[in-house]
Amino acid sequence: MNNLKFRYDQTSVRLEIEGLPDSSIGQDKTKLGIVSSWRLDLVGSPQLEGRREHLQSLIDVVYPYVRYRLSGISKSFVDKKNQIKITSSIFGTKLLLTSSQANTDPLTIELDDAELSDLLFCLDSFRHDPRVEIDFSPPPFTPLPRSELLERIPFYKRFGASLFGITCIAVASMLFLTFYDEPQYQNTPSPEQKIKKSL
Amino acid sequence: MPLDHDHLNAQLAPPLGRRGLERLDFLLLLIESIDLNGSQSMMWTLQQLGLDHQFPNCVELWKRRCHNPLRKTSRRGSLKTTDSDSLILILCTMAERLYPQLRQLLSNKEPDFISKERWKLLNNRILELIQERMNVRRGAIQRILKSENSINFIKQLVLTLALSAGPGGFERLRASLLDPTP
Repeated sequence: MNNLKFRYDQTSVRLEIEGLPDSSIGQDKTKLGIVSSWRLDLVGSPQLEGRREHLQSLIDVVYPYVRYRLSGISKSFVDKKNQIKITSSIFGTKLLLTSSQANTDPLTIELDDAELSDLLFCLDSFRHDPRVEIDFSPPPFTPLPRSELLERIPFYKRFGASLFGITCIAVASMLFLTFYDEPQYQNTPSPEQKIKKSL
Repeated sequence: MPLDHDHLNAQLAPPLGRRGLERLDFLLLLIESIDLNGSQSMMWTLQQLGLDHQFPNCVELWKRRCHNPLRKTSRRGSLKTTDSDSLILILCTMAERLYPQLRQLLSNKEPDFISKERWKLLNNRILELIQERMNVRRGAIQRILKSENSINFIKQLVLTLALSAGPGGFERLRASLLDPTP
């Protein structure tokens, strides 16, 4: 058996992939066609292990999360099987992992921004490795819709000016109506009447 | 892992909007603040990436960067997609080269005193460059120069640069720069 083992290192992250070439489609002996297992070491956290689907789930949540962080938005993402959740925290980023095995408590891993970029770098290196011939594509990167970008502008900044304008007009109208003195029109005599009076 | 040249042949995206051009120029400014020979390094990177025919000298690079509407001497019109893609490619390559420094800045596990000193130095350098090159009469620049805003602004730039390093950084950064102006 041609067991292959690839390792991707960054300062605080190590990703190890084990697998073998897919001989059924005549793959080269140096190419990875089947992933049998993977291990992820994050400094200060327990080692993570899993199958191919779990790695795809990790990629499916990490990449969209990073895409939003690039636009300055912190948004939570969960994978399809509800096993991996990524969300922002005071410390930086929180990964909540639920094991598929029974009687195993969920695991929470806190990453700072440096560790998040290390994790992303390792996943990127793996995905773009020319020796890996399996598609681990994340959801496509697209510009964010305007509605999502508007969320990062505080409400008072977004509508502050228009609200202030409307309030000013309303207050001015109320003051005008309150203190408005209706002019008292008096019947002023016409010049003819004046002459008649004087006579 | 080196970024390959095929990114430029990828499907061409629409030209960058006003906000995208501003962010692109500020990211290049951040590189110049971290790497004191930043402008020279950019020229070397251009040669390394085979983009020297597009940017034969510093002036050509500066002319493209002047599309940022917040500059003192800004140029009208939008930047060609090939030019913006080349600038993004330079950014990603430089981010990969400067990754250890970016990482140090972002890490919470560094000693607090050293971390604060690093941020202070970077803050001073980038604000000096902004005052030197940007139109300080513009409200957007005045907001950045206010100390309480500048830290968050620079932190977001550093994070953007760190997350743009690596082989997939180009697509990520380009998509983020194409965000519509809110």
